[in-house]
Amino acid sequence: MSAYEFVDHSYDVVVVGAGGAGLRATFGLANSGLSVACVTKVFPTRSHTVAAQGGISAALGNMGQDDWRWHMYDTIKGSDWLGDQDAIEFMCKEAPAAILELEHYGLPFSRTEEGKIYQRPFGGMTTQYGTGPAAQRTCAAADRTGHAMLHTLYQQALKHEAQFFIEYFAVDLIMENGECRGVVAVDMATGKIHRFRAHMVVLATGGYGRAYFSCTSAHTCTGDGGGMVLRAGLPMQDMEFVQFHPTGIYGSGCLITEGARGEGGILRNSKGEAFMERYAPSAKNLASRDVVSRAMTIEIREGRGVGAEQDHIFLHLEHLGAKVLQEKLPGISETAKIFAGVDVTKQPIPVLPTVHYNMGGIPTNIHGEVVTLKDGNPDSVVPGLMAVGEAACVSVHGANRLGSNSLLDLVIFGREAARHCAEVVKPGRRHKPLAADAGDLAISRIDRYRNAKGELKTSKIRLDMQRVMQNHAAVFRTGESLQEGVDKLDKVIDSFGSVNVSDRGLVWNTDLIETLELDNLLGQAAATISSALNRKESRGAHAREDFPNRDDANWMKHTLSWVDARGKVSLDTRPVHMYTLTDDVEVVPPKARVY
Amino acid sequence: MAQFSLPANSVVNPNGNVHKAPAGSKDVRSFRIYRFDPESTDKPRIDTYEVDMGSCGPMVLDALIKIKNEIDPSLTFRRSCREGICGSCAMNIDGVNTLACIKASAEIKGTVKIYPLPHMPVIKDLVPDLTNFYAQYASVKPWLQTRTPAPPDQERLQSKEDQEKIDRPSACILCACCSTSCPSYWWNSDKYLGPAALLAAYRWIIDTRDEATGERLDELEDPFRLYRCHTIMNCAEACPKDLNPARAIAEIKRKIAERKQ
Amino acid sequence: MSLRSPLGKVLGAGAAKEGAHHWWAQRISAVGLVLLAPWFLLSLIALGDLSYVNVHDWVASPVHTVLLSLLVLALTYHAFLGLQVVIEDYVANKGIRLLVLLVIKFTLLVLGVLGVISVLRIAFMGNH
Repeated sequence: MSAYEFVDHSYDVVVVGAGGAGLRATFGLANSGLSVACVTKVFPTRSHTVAAQGGISAALGNMGQDDWRWHMYDTIKGSDWLGDQDAIEFMCKEAPAAILELEHYGLPFSRTEEGKIYQRPFGGMTTQYGTGPAAQRTCAAADRTGHAMLHTLYQQALKHEAQFFIEYFAVDLIMENGECRGVVAVDMATGKIHRFRAHMVVLATGGYGRAYFSCTSAHTCTGDGGGMVLRAGLPMQDMEFVQFHPTGIYGSGCLITEGARGEGGILRNSKGEAFMERYAPSAKNLASRDVVSRAMTIEIREGRGVGAEQDHIFLHLEHLGAKVLQEKLPGISETAKIFAGVDVTKQPIPVLPTVHYNMGGIPTNIHGEVVTLKDGNPDSVVPGLMAVGEAACVSVHGANRLGSNSLLDLVIFGREAARHCAEVVKPGRRHKPLAADAGDLAISRIDRYRNAKGELKTSKIRLDMQRVMQNHAAVFRTGESLQEGVDKLDKVIDSFGSVNVSDRGLVWNTDLIETLELDNLLGQAAATISSALNRKESRGAHAREDFPNRDDANWMKHTLSWVDARGKVSLDTRPVHMYTLTDDVEVVPPKARVY
Repeated sequence: MAQFSLPANSVVNPNGNVHKAPAGSKDVRSFRIYRFDPESTDKPRIDTYEVDMGSCGPMVLDALIKIKNEIDPSLTFRRSCREGICGSCAMNIDGVNTLACIKASAEIKGTVKIYPLPHMPVIKDLVPDLTNFYAQYASVKPWLQTRTPAPPDQERLQSKEDQEKIDRPSACILCACCSTSCPSYWWNSDKYLGPAALLAAYRWIIDTRDEATGERLDELEDPFRLYRCHTIMNCAEACPKDLNPARAIAEIKRKIAERKQ
Repeated sequence: MSLRSPLGKVLGAGAAKEGAHHWWAQRISAVGLVLLAPWFLLSLIALGDLSYVNVHDWVASPVHTVLLSLLVLALTYHAFLGLQVVIEDYVANKGIRLLVLLVIKFTLLVLGVLGVISVLRIAFMGNH
C-alpha cells in the first residue's frame, strides 16, 4: 500500500459534486466566508442537472393566482403521503424567494407579456388544494431550464471565486468514530490520491439511475455519494421509490419533458385514444408521473401499444403548431429529430416509461444534515456529514416526485446546507489530526480494483445488474418477481469478486473509475430491490400487484436500508414527519390519491 | 514563426492495433481511433476497431461505448448525458468537430475516423486538456453585473423580445467544438478568446438586465482577444447546437464601432 | 514551465483597448478600393491608347490626380493593415514579429509616399 501517497488538503467544508445542489451549496459557502472546496468528477456544467428540461416550480403566481400552500398540498399528495411535511413546507415556502434569487443571478428565464418569469403547467400541480384548475407554477427557460440553471449557478461560483477540484473522483468518506472527517478523491488527470480534511462534507452526488438498463440519467449518474455512505455503515432511505418518467424516447431513453404535456401534448395508444382520460379524468395527461407511467404500462400490456412490437406509446405534439413548438419546446423538437427521427410538427414521438429519478437517498433533516437511526433515535445526526439534491432524501418527494420539484429541491437545500454550515462551522477552525488509518478504505479499494485480474469485465457485471433491476424492480412489481430479483442480484454482486480491470494506468483510467462507480451502483441496487420486496403495499412509484393498495396503518414510514460489504441488506424504518415546521399551514392528512 | 514541424512524440503511428470483429458479424464498420497513452513512451497511434453494427446503437458514442465495454476497456473518452446537452463527448469525427452522442454512425461514409478536438493538448486518447478554454470562459465574467439593486420581491423585468435575444446565445454547452475548429484559435489560443468565450461575452452584452455593457466591451477591445476573428465561420459550421458564434462576434465588433460614433 | 494560473495567463496584461480603429480602417479602405480600383481599370480601358503621353495627360487632370492619389493611399494602407494581421496571426516570436512588421510598414510607407509624390509630380510638373 506504500505505493500510494496522499496529497493532503484542509478546508472548512468540502462539497462533493457540482450539479445544481453542489454548486448552490459551494458558492453559498464561498460567500459566507468559509473555506470551501468543490470536488467533482466532471466539469461542473457537464453535471446531469444540465439535462433537466421543463422547469422549476414556485408559487410566484405570474400566470394566475397561486399560493405556496397549494404547492405544498400538491407535493404531499404527489408524495403519496410519504414526504416529510415539515421539509415540504420549508421547500414550498422558500421557493418563490429562491427562484427570484436565480433570476437576479441572471438566469435567462422565458418571459410573460409583462416581462415576468414564464410559468407552465406541470403534472400534479393544481390550485385550491387540488380542487381548482391546473396551476401554472413551473418556471421555465424554454425547455432547457436545467441547462440555464446549472450554467447560472456555475457562473455564480466563478463570480464568488469558489475553489474547484475538477475531474476528481471521490472514492470514500473518512469516518472516525461515527463522525465524518473528510473525503478521499482521485485526481483523474494524474491518478494521485487526495485526502480532503473538512469539518463538514456535503454530498451532492446525484442519483443512481444507471443501476437500470434504460434510464434518462446520464452515464455519470452512478450514485457515488450513496455508495460512500453505505460503505461508511450508514443507511439509505426509501430506496424502493424509483420514478419512471412517462416519456423517455423509445429505444434511446432520452427524456422528453413533461412540459411537452404541460404545453398541451397528448398520449395516445394504438387506437388513437387519449387514454389518460380514463385513468385520470380530471388531470388527464398531467396526472402525476407514477400514475401516467402505470397507465401507459397497462395500455401496452393490454395490447394497445403502438409500433411493430406494440411495446410503446405515442406522444402527440403536432396539434400545438410549429410556432409554439419552436418557442416553448425547441430542445425536445431537436432531440426527437435526432433520437427518434421524428418531425414533431408532423409526427408523434414514440415514448416509454423510463427510469428517471430516485426519490430515495441519504436521509437528512431539513438543514441537509445526514441522519440515521441510532439508539432508537430516528433523527440522530451524523456529525460532519451533509447531503443535498437527488443524492439525499429529505424527504420532500416521498414516494413520488412531482415534475419541476427536483430543480427546486436542489436550490432550496443546496442553499440551506450552505446557510446551516455557516451557522455551525467556524471559519478556519483547527482540524484535529486524522487517525493513522484515515483513507485506507479508499486506498484498499483503488488498489484492489486497479489490479483486479478476474474474468468478468466491469461492463458485463454492470449489464447483468441493470437487467436484473429493469426486469424485477420496474413500474409494476410482485413479491415473487422481486424475490427472484434479489436472488439474481446477489449472484451479480458475488460475481463482482471476479471483476477484471484491464487498464493498469494512473492517468485517466476510466476502466478503474467505471469499476468504482459500479461498486457504488451495486450497493444501491441491492438496497432498492430489497426495500421494494419488503414494502408490502403500493404507494407512489412503488406499485405492488400483490398489494395494490396503500396501507397507511402499517407502511406510512420511511424504509432505511444498510448494505454490508458482501451486499447483504438489513432494513429498518423511520417515521414520516406528519407535522409542519410552523403554524403557517396545517398538516395535510392522508386521503385517497385521485387525479 | 508558426511551428510547422510537430514535436517528435506527436507523430502518429497510423498502424496501431487492429481489433477484428467476431466471426459471424453481419454489418461490420471500421472505427479508426486516435490513441495516446501519456504513461507510455510510445508514439500516439491509430487503432482500428471493427464493430458489429447489428448490435450497436445508432450514434458514434454508442459505438465508442460498445468498443470500451466489449473490446478494449482502456479506450478513454469523456461522456455523460448522451443527449447532446452536457457537452462532454466533443471530438473530431470524420474530420468535423461534433458531439459523439448526437452524430449518427450512418451519416458517415466508410471508415469512421475519430480524433480528439484539434489543436488541444491531449491528456489521453480522446480526452483533451480544456483548462485554457475554461479560463477564457471565466475571463469574460460570465455573470450578471448590475449596479441597480434587484427589486426585493420581484424578478428583474425583461420583455419577451429582449429575452429572445439571449435565448439562443445562452444555450451554449461549452463543448469547445467551435473554438477548436477555428484556425485563428489554433494559431493564437493563448491570446484570442475564441468563439465560445466571445459568444458567452455577447450573451451578457445583450442581456438587458446587465449594466456592465461598457466594461465588457472595454475588456474585449483588443487586437487579439476579439479581432483575431477573421470571419472564417468554422465556428458556426461546427456548433452541434446550431448556434452562431461568428455572428455574435460580428455584433460585438459592431457595438464597439458604434459607441465611437 | 509557467506556474501562473490559467485565468492569470488568459487575462495577461489586460485588453489593449484598441483594435476597433484598425478593424474600421480596414473596412473603410476596402470600400475605397472597391470603388477606386474598378474606376482605375475601367479608365485605363476607356483610355485605349496607353502611350506615355496619353496616360501622363490623363493623370494630370485634377480629378484623376486626386482619385489616383487616394487609390495609392487606400491600397498601401489596406495592404499595410492586412499584412499586419497576417503577421500577427502567424508569427509567434515577438522579436521577429516586430522586425517583420517594421520592415513591412516602412516598405509600404515608402511605396505609398513614392506613389503619391509621383502622381503629384506628374500633375504639377506638367511637362512631358
